[in-house]
Amino acid sequence: MSQRVNEINTVIKGIPDVKIVKPFEQSKIDIEGCITVFVGGLMQPLEFNVTIHPQYPFKSHETETIKFSNDNLIEHKHIMQNGAICIHTAHTPVLSQKLIYDIESVKAWIKKYYINKDSDTHYEHLIVPQKAFKENYFAYFFSEVDYTFHKNQFGFVDYSIMNNGVFYKENIQSSIFQAFLNKDRKKIVDVDWNFQLKNLPQSTALFVFLKDAPSKNQRWVFNDWKDFETTLPQDFLKFLHNVEERLAKENGKTLPLFVGYNISETEIHWQAIILEIGNFPIYGEKIDKQWLTKIEEDRSIHWAMTRNCSYKYFFGRGKLSERITESKILIIGIGAVGSILAKTLIRCGCRRLGFIEFDVKEPENVCRSEYSFFTGITNKTNDLINELCLISPFFEPINGGYDYSEAFDFFIKSHLADTGIKAEMEKHLEEYDIIIDCSADNGLLYVLSQLQIKSTLLNLSISNHAKHLVCAAEQNRYDFIISQFAGNILKFDVDDLHNPTGCWSPTFKASYNDINVLVQAAIKQINTKFEQEKTLRNFFIETDDTNCFNISIKEF
Amino acid sequence: MDKNKHLDSVISTHQITKEETLFDKYVKKKNEVKEALEDKYESDIYSPFNSGSYAKNTAINTKFDFDLVSPFKRNAFGCSGTLKEMYEDVYDFLYEKYKDVAEVKKQKVSIGLEFYADSDGDVIKIDVVPGRELSQDQYKENENLNLYVYYKYGNIDAGSERIKTNVKAQINNIKTRATDEKDSIRKIIRLLKVWKNTKYNYPTKSFFLELITIKAFDNKTITGSIWEKLETVLEYIRDNVTKDSFTLKDPGNSSNDLADTLTSYEKQQLSDDMKNMLDRIRDNDENLKTYFPENSKFKKEESKTNQYGTNSGMPVPPPKLNFG
Repeated sequence: MSQRVNEINTVIKGIPDVKIVKPFEQSKIDIEGCITVFVGGLMQPLEFNVTIHPQYPFKSHETETIKFSNDNLIEHKHIMQNGAICIHTAHTPVLSQKLIYDIESVKAWIKKYYINKDSDTHYEHLIVPQKAFKENYFAYFFSEVDYTFHKNQFGFVDYSIMNNGVFYKENIQSSIFQAFLNKDRKKIVDVDWNFQLKNLPQSTALFVFLKDAPSKNQRWVFNDWKDFETTLPQDFLKFLHNVEERLAKENGKTLPLFVGYNISETEIHWQAIILEIGNFPIYGEKIDKQWLTKIEEDRSIHWAMTRNCSYKYFFGRGKLSERITESKILIIGIGAVGSILAKTLIRCGCRRLGFIEFDVKEPENVCRSEYSFFTGITNKTNDLINELCLISPFFEPINGGYDYSEAFDFFIKSHLADTGIKAEMEKHLEEYDIIIDCSADNGLLYVLSQLQIKSTLLNLSISNHAKHLVCAAEQNRYDFIISQFAGNILKFDVDDLHNPTGCWSPTFKASYNDINVLVQAAIKQINTKFEQEKTLRNFFIETDDTNCFNISIKEF
Repeated sequence: MDKNKHLDSVISTHQITKEETLFDKYVKKKNEVKEALEDKYESDIYSPFNSGSYAKNTAINTKFDFDLVSPFKRNAFGCSGTLKEMYEDVYDFLYEKYKDVAEVKKQKVSIGLEFYADSDGDVIKIDVVPGRELSQDQYKENENLNLYVYYKYGNIDAGSERIKTNVKAQINNIKTRATDEKDSIRKIIRLLKVWKNTKYNYPTKSFFLELITIKAFDNKTITGSIWEKLETVLEYIRDNVTKDSFTLKDPGNSSNDLADTLTSYEKQQLSDDMKNMLDRIRDNDENLKTYFPENSKFKKEESKTNQYGTNSGMPVPPPKLNFG
């Protein structure tokens, strides 16, 4: 017996209220044994088969490498599909210590979920076995809709395939719900996504809303079609039969069926089943001279994956202040600073974003902005809208085309003395809650500073080598920017500029990393002020890399 | 950079005498509004008067602060008429009269008239402050008035009728101190007004800045150059305005505390702004220009030898220094 196996047996033997039923032995790969664990409140100790993987005491793929299983506990909370208790314990590189932690964790699970039958405050989704259907996995993304489904309502769903990818070692196809339609294919409600997702080619699926979860114990989703026998209404089964008949020419193809149920009073979850046309789990039976559609016995359900991608879940892990995310935002200038800003806002929960930029993306722009090489030469506005649509399904570009950008520049700069047009421009700009000028166009800065607009108006620009980022947020924005950069206040290298090939004016030298660290710090400062409901003041961010990297914010 | 020289230039470029034409337009418009009120309310109103910064000798030429106090008789709106009725009546009158030529807005204790730009592009702003004497004919004796609070004003709730004050006493108090101590109090008040004017809708009223400047001079030994005096006043505001014990007595009524016209959040903002200003100016003297800009309209041209790129004899345009 190896030293490791010996140590495991010795340590476990010494843990109070734990007995070894079957001593630990080395199997082909793992070390296996069986133990009982007693906790006050139990009539008798619980038995667990224990499997210890070679990686133990370290985690592998973020999961523990020791499994405590008992098939009889499968209906309890926090039991995984394979019957193992779901535990997460503290890290230690010492095997004996880790065994003590893990068995303590088993005891805690017994007390909380077996004896006290506690339930967690957050909703725990049904456990759905992940199985490939004919070597393909399928995933469907839905978002909450402004519609109340009624029990046993059924019909069609239009969905679109977004991507064919790889799921570990298998293929996976990811799709989005597009719209719910009734059984006569009349649209009930659209699912809101960005315009590019809405424009994807659409296919047809089916839905049935059951109201109650398809589960016998609120833990495990139904396994076999017969589990649905008392749940699926005859109308729906007949509908299934009719659909299959109509699709007879497409035998062998897959057809998703979405099963909806309430997980709270206001929230619906959808699970997906993959049906094969020509092989639906139904048959007809004549009872009292009437044909009824019945569910076949011994047919297991092919569940697919679904994800609720509603805004609150999509941005559930972190977003900016609502003062920003709920705003309609205009970014003027989407070069390095503006494109990084735009992408950050979109990743942080903003939806409504417009752009003004007349420039075209060149290959040399890619290294320090949010554009990709792949799209070649194209208008920055078009390219960024495409990039942002790939990130957030909730991005709604407002204005932002090339024509709009040209018109904006012409009207705002040529008609400053025309009070009528100036007033129209002010009115137009006030449709935005926040305007962020990243153009570094001091002419535009001057013009904007002459306008009377209630929108929050910010100006972001950086110095050579990205030594500073200056943010003007106040009424004196023009004087502030000019004095900071050209007023002998900020000190930076004005000679070592980058001269692109050709007749271009020189540009600043800085990498994506140099610029991004400043832009992110600026967004952080702005967001912090908004979250604390404080007035945003002019500020600049200064970096210093004399010894180690230092960054500081100076507020005015 | 010579901070004192710059501050002197700030004050001189903001002198009201430099904007005589515009100032005359203000006076003319103020007189028109005054006459309109007198015509409308006839014997129910005493003579309206200007209580703004010009009356107190603390005006700057980028913001004239024309406040037209309109003292009404006790029964002008009926013997049981409320201050709210007074405020609404004056608003309705001004709105009807000026709605086509000005934006008429309800403000904290006044009604704002912002006349649309004239052919020179000048916009005239006059605030009408309706007030009512406390009892019949009492105004003639002591000039005390009750004001109506339309919007929440610091810690004073909207709809409050508890502002009783003597506006003329307020004017005289500040005017006397500003005139007697024109190299200290008057200059500092003007500088603080220049600073306030760099902000949009700053919640601290000019009257508050006037009183807190006087209080700083009364409580601290403030001497030296104009910058040293300004610095000491800024430090005083930074260190004192957020204290629980901090009060600002209204010279028009000693039982009014002007500190109540700011919420604790607004006091903290004022203190933070003073701190940032002092810190930034200590970082770099040049930042003084950001907080206290000269009025570029009257700024003297500086010697060409200090300008960018003139060394070679050929003028060289300044390079682009900010990027996006």
